[in-house]
Amino acid sequence: MTSPFAGLRAQLLGAAEALATGPAALPEILSGIVDDVDHMFREPLEIFPVCHHSPASALAMVRRLREKQPKVIYLELCEDLGPLLTELRNCRLPVALQAFASELEGFAKEEAPLSVIAPITEASAEYQAIAYALETPGVELVLVDRSTDHVFQWQSAEAPVPEDDADAEPEDDLHGDAVGVEIGDLRPRFAELEEHLLHHGRVRHWSEWWDQYVEQPLAHADHDTYRQVMVLIGSLFRRLTPAGTRRLATDEDRERYMWTRIREHLAAGGADRAECLYICGAFHAASRVPEAGSEPSAPDFEITPRTATTWLYGLIPSSHSAIEAQFGLAPGSVSIAAATWQKSITRSRLTPFALEGQKGGKKRVRKSLPAPVTGGEPVVDQLTGYLTGPAALGGLDEEELRGWCVDIVRLARRNGYLASTADAIAVFETSILLAGMRGRARPTPYDFQDAAVTCIEKDAVPGRRDVSRLCEILLGGDRIGQVGYAALPPLAREVYDRLAPLGLNLEYRTIQRALLDIAARPELAACSQLLWMLRYLLPDNAVRPIMGSRRLGEKHIQESWDLDLGRHQRTIIELGYEGVTVEQVLEQRLRRAAWDPKATAATALKAVEHSLLFLSSPRLTDELGGRAVELLAAERGVDEAPAVLRRIRRLLAHYRSTTPALPAWCERFVTAGYAHYCTLLPTAFVEEETGVRQVGAMLGFLFSMESLALSLGCDRTQLELAVRQCHPESAAKIALLWAARHQLGVLPLAELRERVDELLGNPLVVPAVPQYVSGFVQALEAVPRLVPFVVETLSKAFARLPDPVLLPWLPVLITTLKSQAAELVPVLTREAGRTFPGSLAALDTWTAPWTARPKSAVATSRPSSGAAGVLLAEHPATTEAVAALLRCAGEWSVAGGDAEGPAPVGLLTEHPETAEAVAALIGG
Amino acid sequence: MFSSPGSVSLPDHVEENPPMSDMLRAPAEAKYADELDWLESIDDGPKPFSWRLSPKMVRLFILGSERADGLDREIAQKWFGDRSFVERAVVTLASDRGLLLIGDPGTGKSWLAELLAAAISRNSTLVVQGTAGTTEDHIKYSWNVSMVIAKGQSRASMIPSPIMTAMEGGVIGRFEELTRSTSDVQDALISILSEKYVSIPELDEDNIVFAKPGFSIIATANSRDRGVNDLSSALKRRFNFIRIPVVTNRKSEAEIVRFRTEELLRRHNIELEVPPSLLDVLLQSFADLRAASAAATSDDERLESALSTAEQIGVLEDAILHSTFFGSRELTAEALAGSLVGSLARRSPEDLAILNKYWHGVVEPRSQDDGGEWNGFLEGGRQAIATLS
Repeated sequence: MTSPFAGLRAQLLGAAEALATGPAALPEILSGIVDDVDHMFREPLEIFPVCHHSPASALAMVRRLREKQPKVIYLELCEDLGPLLTELRNCRLPVALQAFASELEGFAKEEAPLSVIAPITEASAEYQAIAYALETPGVELVLVDRSTDHVFQWQSAEAPVPEDDADAEPEDDLHGDAVGVEIGDLRPRFAELEEHLLHHGRVRHWSEWWDQYVEQPLAHADHDTYRQVMVLIGSLFRRLTPAGTRRLATDEDRERYMWTRIREHLAAGGADRAECLYICGAFHAASRVPEAGSEPSAPDFEITPRTATTWLYGLIPSSHSAIEAQFGLAPGSVSIAAATWQKSITRSRLTPFALEGQKGGKKRVRKSLPAPVTGGEPVVDQLTGYLTGPAALGGLDEEELRGWCVDIVRLARRNGYLASTADAIAVFETSILLAGMRGRARPTPYDFQDAAVTCIEKDAVPGRRDVSRLCEILLGGDRIGQVGYAALPPLAREVYDRLAPLGLNLEYRTIQRALLDIAARPELAACSQLLWMLRYLLPDNAVRPIMGSRRLGEKHIQESWDLDLGRHQRTIIELGYEGVTVEQVLEQRLRRAAWDPKATAATALKAVEHSLLFLSSPRLTDELGGRAVELLAAERGVDEAPAVLRRIRRLLAHYRSTTPALPAWCERFVTAGYAHYCTLLPTAFVEEETGVRQVGAMLGFLFSMESLALSLGCDRTQLELAVRQCHPESAAKIALLWAARHQLGVLPLAELRERVDELLGNPLVVPAVPQYVSGFVQALEAVPRLVPFVVETLSKAFARLPDPVLLPWLPVLITTLKSQAAELVPVLTREAGRTFPGSLAALDTWTAPWTARPKSAVATSRPSSGAAGVLLAEHPATTEAVAALLRCAGEWSVAGGDAEGPAPVGLLTEHPETAEAVAALIGG
Repeated sequence: MFSSPGSVSLPDHVEENPPMSDMLRAPAEAKYADELDWLESIDDGPKPFSWRLSPKMVRLFILGSERADGLDREIAQKWFGDRSFVERAVVTLASDRGLLLIGDPGTGKSWLAELLAAAISRNSTLVVQGTAGTTEDHIKYSWNVSMVIAKGQSRASMIPSPIMTAMEGGVIGRFEELTRSTSDVQDALISILSEKYVSIPELDEDNIVFAKPGFSIIATANSRDRGVNDLSSALKRRFNFIRIPVVTNRKSEAEIVRFRTEELLRRHNIELEVPPSLLDVLLQSFADLRAASAAATSDDERLESALSTAEQIGVLEDAILHSTFFGSRELTAEALAGSLVGSLARRSPEDLAILNKYWHGVVEPRSQDDGGEWNGFLEGGRQAIATLS
C-alpha cells in the first residue's frame, strides 16, 4: 500500500541531501517524522493528539466529538482520579484534581505527605472530552494513565524539587508542594532546541512560539490537518529527545501502560475500535514502542501492583497563574489561551461541551447532537501545505487592538501611571510597527504587551503592578477556580456549616471582618471556638483575630476576626484528608506534637494547654499530661525550665480555680519535677552551658511548688542537701545560690547585705558586681521576698559602680528585663514605687530606707510592754523553748522604764482635768 | 568640502571624516561604513521617513546576522542584549516619540544609541553632552558674537546646536546623560519633541527651523543619578523609556568582553592572547562580587562600583596594557588581580575591606579547590590589597 505521504517523504529526503554537511542522522529524523504520522493513521483506534492549554486542541476536539460521537473515550489521565470527575460540575474552573497521602507504606516516610495534582481548565481539550463523556448517555470515559501511586513509584530520587519563589504572588502558591501531572505536555526536551526555535522564530518564550507557529494556523484547520500537524510536532520533539534520559524512559513506560490498559478494556468490553477515541499528548501519539497499538497481539506491559499507601482524593482550587508557575509556562500564557478560546468559539459559532450545572460558565442551552458523520475518506497529505506555506495568520483585528490600547491606558491610570489618550495612540502605532518588524501581519498579544511597556512604563513603577502585569490582567487576567460545596470533603463542609451563623459569604476571595458579640448572641460562642481551632490549624493569615485572645481563664464577650477562607480553600480541603471533623484533626495534631521524637516537657505542657483551650476532653488532657510527666522525668537538660515553670504555674492556677481537686497528672508532675530538679540542681549550678535564667527557673519551680510538693509527700531535706551540694563558680550563679540559701533560712538578710557591700567596697571584684546583680535579678522569681533587697542592690550598683563597669552592663540588664518583662518588670517597678519618693520635691529630703535602717531596727525590736510582756518575762520557759525550736538565739532585755509606764500616762495622771472634762462630756 | 561658518547645510560626515587610521576612536558609521553601504544596497524593505535602512536591517546591523538570514556576507553582532530592546528602540524612533535609554553605568546605553544613529542616519556625532553646565543654547542655537557685531543677527551668524542640525537634516540627534543637566534645560526639549520646530525670535524673517521627517532624539540617562534632576512628567511623556539591565548572563557577558577587548587590542596594535581560563576568572569574580553587593544591606558593605560589563572590560584593558608595556608581554592572573583591585577599590577603607573579605573568603578556598589561574589571582590580589592598605 502506498503511503499518501510518499511525496513529502521524498521531498524531505531531498532536502536532507541538499544539506549534506548536516548531521548524519538528519535523513533518518526527517523521514522518521513522516513515518510516524503515517503510522498513526494506520492505527485502527483513532488517536487524538492534544497539547496542554491549547485552544486549537480544544476546538478541534469539539468539532471531532460532534462529528464522530465516539462511544468510548480513553484519556491520558491517572486512572485512579476517575471518580472525581463528576464532582467537577460543582466547581468553578480552573480546579485541580488531587490525590493525597500522608500515611505512607512502601515509600520513604520522610517524603510524606505525597500529593499529585492535575489541573483542569475550561479551555482544554480534556475538559471538552470529559464534559462530552459525562453528559452524553451511553458514553464511557476510561482513564488509562498510570495511577498516582505509580507516579511516585516511578519518580526518580533525583527528581528536581520545585524551587520556592520568594516573590511569588499568593495565587501562584495555590497548589502547594504537589507534583503536577498534565495531559499533553509538548515542549522541546532539551534547552538548546527550544532556544534555537525561539531565536529563529523571533519570539521570547515558548508559549509565544507555539501560538504563532502552531496554534494560529491550526485554529480553523480541519481534523486531518490538525492530527497530522500535531503528530508531526510530537514526533519531531520525540526524535530530538536525548536518548537514555530518565524522562523518556518514564514516558515510554507510560505509553506501554496506557496501551496495555486500552487493550484490556477492549478485550473485556468488546467495544468496536472504530467507535473509540484515544486522547493523549501529541508526544505519545507518535509513540513507536512495540507495546503501542490496539492489536490484541501487541505485547503487554507488566503493571506493577500499587503500594499499600492509602490515597485520598479531592478537588482543590487552582488558578491560571498557579498552573503557569507549576509547569514553567510564561506568565499570562494560560490566561491568553483562555481568552483565545473564548474568542474562537464565538467566531466559529461552535457550542462547546460543558458539564451540567457548571459554575462560572455561561448558561448554555442543551441541544441534541447532530447525527454523527461517518468518515471513510482516504487520508490525504495535509502536511506539505502546512510546512511550505507561511504561517497563515488572521488579518489585523483593528477593533480588538484599539480596545486593548484604550483599556490598558485606563488600567494604567488606575494603577498610578500618568497615561493618557496619547499613550493609547502610541501603543497602537508601536504594536503595529513591532509586529511588522517581527514579520507578523497582525500584532499578537505579546507584541501588544511589548508596545505597552515601551510607551507607558517610565523610570519607576508607581503602584504595585507594572505595565506587563497589567497587560496580563487585561488579556484575560488570572482566573481562580473554586471548589463547590458539594465537592468538598466532610470537614470543609462542616467548617462552612458551623460558620454559617456569622452571616458572611466565606467563598469571597477577600478578607472579611467577622464581629462576634457573644454576650448578645450566645450561639456565636461555638463559631468563636471553631475559629480558634482553625487559627491553630491553618496558616497564619487564613483566620486572624483582631480583637480577642484565648488564654486559660479568659472569657470574651466580644471578638472580631479577619477571615480569608476563600483564598485558603486548599488548606481547608487538605485538612479534610486528615480527619472528618476539626476536633479530630486537632486532637491528632496535639498528640503528634506531644509524641514527636523531639518533644520536650514544655511542648507537652503546651499541648495540654491547647487541649484545655480548644477541646473539652479531660481524657485527652490527662493523656497529654501523663506524657508531659514522662518527658520531664526523661529529660537530661534544663534548657526548657523557664517554659516548664511558666506553663505549669498557669495550669495549676487554672485547675485551682476551676476544679475541686488537682488532676492526678498535675500532682505527679509536681512531685516528679521536684525530685527531678533537685537532682539536677548541683550540676546545673556548675555547668557553664546552663544559663542563669534556667537555674533561676529551676529554683522558682522548687520554691514555688514546695508547699504542694511537700503536701504530696516530698521531703524538704532533699532540697536542702541539693543546695548544699551546689558550688557555683560564676558570679551570677553565686548570687543565685545566696538567694536560695536565704530562702532556706540559712543566710540572713543582714549577712547578704554585708556581702554585697563588701563586693562593692573591694576594688578588685568591682568589675564582677554587675554579674552578681544579674544573678539577684534572676532570683526574683524564685525568692519573691528578696524584692526589696534586689531594688536596694540595684540602687547601690547604680550609685557606686564606676562608669566603665556600669555602662557596658546596662544594655545587658535592659535586654534581660525586656525579654523577661512579664515576670520581672511588674515586681521590680512595684517595689521601686514603694521605695522611692513619688515627687521631685520629696526627693530632696529622701533618704534611702537601707541607710536609715539601723536606728529604726532598734526601735522596732523593743518588745512590747504591758500585761503580755510582763507575763512572758515572768514565765520565760515557753518563749525560750519556741526560740530554741526556731534556732533563734536571743536575750531577755530588761524593761527598764516599764515600771513608770509610758510618758502619756504620767502626763494624764498629773493633769487629770482634761480627761475628767472629756468624761463628763461623753456622759461617762 | 568647504562649508562656511554657520552654514546650515548638513555636513557630509563620511567624506569629511579623516581616514579611520587618524582617529583614536572612529564613530560607528565610519567604522562600519562598508557594512552599512552593503546593507543599504541590498535593503528592499520599507523605510520610514528619510531612514537609510529599513527597521529590519537596523536590527540586523546591531544584532548581527545568522545563517538563516541567507545573507552573502556575515554581519557581526555589535550590541549584546535582549533582542526585544533593540526592536522596541527602533520602533520608538519610527514613531512620534523620543527614545530614552536608562540603566546603570556601563550597560551599553551610549553604544546602542550610537549604533542606532549610525544605522538610521549614518551620523552618530550630533551629540549634546548633558552636564550641570549645559545651557539652553546647547540645545537650540547660539550666536557668533563677532559676526553679529559685524553683520547683525542673521541665519549666517547663528550657530545651530547639534539638535538643531539634526532637525534640519531629518536625522537622529543624541543627548547623553539627560538627567545630569538641569530641569530648565531639559524642558527646552519638550517643545522640540512635540512641536518639532525651534523658533528664533531674534530674527524677523526665516525665523523658524522645522524638523524634517526622520528627526528624533535618543537620550541616555543613568539610573544611579535618579533624583539629581528628575525629568518632568511632561518630558517623560514625550519619551519612551527602555531600561537596559546589567548583563548577568555569563555567556553573553563573555561575548561582550571578548568583542570589546579584541577591538581594543586592534586599536593599540597589541599582539597578546587573552587565555579563556583568565576570562572565566574575571567573569566569575564579577559574578561573585555582584552577588555580594545584592546581598549587602547597607552601602558600606557594597562596592561603590556598579560592577557593570564596562567595568570588566576596563579591568581587562588595564591588565592588558600593563602587561604589554611594563610586564612580560603576557597576560597573567596576577596582573588581572592587581588591575581588578586597583579599579574597584575606590573608597578606603570600605571598598578595600570588602575586597579583602572577598579575597580571603572566596578566592582563597577556590584556589585551594580549583587551582589553576585562581592561584595566581589569589597571590596578585593579596599583593595589590597590601600595597593599597
